[in-house]
Amino acid sequence: MIDITRKLYIGLQLNLGLSREEESLVGLQDFLNNDLVFIHTSARTSEEVFKQVAAKAMSMDMITDAFLEKVTEREKNFPTGIETERFGVAIPHTNPEYVKKQFIAVVTSQEGVPFSRMDDTNAQIKAKAIFVLGLNEPHTQLESLQAIMAVLQNDDKIQQILDSTDVEQVIQSILA
Amino acid sequence: MKKRILVACGAGIATSTVVNEKITTLLKENGIEADIRQIKIQEAKGLEKEADLLISTTILPTTFEIPTIIATAYISGIGMDKLDQKILDALK
Repeated sequence: MIDITRKLYIGLQLNLGLSREEESLVGLQDFLNNDLVFIHTSARTSEEVFKQVAAKAMSMDMITDAFLEKVTEREKNFPTGIETERFGVAIPHTNPEYVKKQFIAVVTSQEGVPFSRMDDTNAQIKAKAIFVLGLNEPHTQLESLQAIMAVLQNDDKIQQILDSTDVEQVIQSILA
Repeated sequence: MKKRILVACGAGIATSTVVNEKITTLLKENGIEADIRQIKIQEAKGLEKEADLLISTTILPTTFEIPTIIATAYISGIGMDKLDQKILDALK
């Protein structure tokens, strides 16, 4: 009986006719967490951002001890700063083995935190929105990754995120 | 002959996954057959003899004998059409 119900449910989901983007945004919902959204961070450097996120993620048992060191190191070698039309953003991340439970942490900064550019390590951007990607199954997370790219490429959405005054608003802005 | 493309980023997982998908679609739309291999940028030098083109979202650690294209535009969203064309031209 349960099996049939599951099949019906899955069938319904497939027929809901969600657009591809809507589907992947729904997927994003699984990784966003009120506790891992930090508005108007006081962090002034990328390392401080990582410390802030790692401290929380550690307390939630979502990362290993090495996560902080590894994400910092990786950012030095392969920076993740991106300049979009109107904003600087960053998508720091590290290898899957340091992530116990998947998450996407969102950090906003009013002044912008300096991050080196992905395509030019000598250039820096001021990231006003930082998405720390705590993913451990990236090859199967194409849609979530595409969803995050779609978010950061959408200047209106980034503006909404930056204008948000509480964590729920940030998450709603992302998923809208 | 099928072209062999390496798609690389720092860890070989996040941005290269997105770019891999973009290129797969681009090639399909243009009827180009190619083998795409997703790698970490550090692996690229060792694999260049078996490839015709290296596409990377991150800066290159060294010079290469094969043509290279930086594909960060797919991540930032700026200049994607130009990048599409660049890749198509490189595969002609």
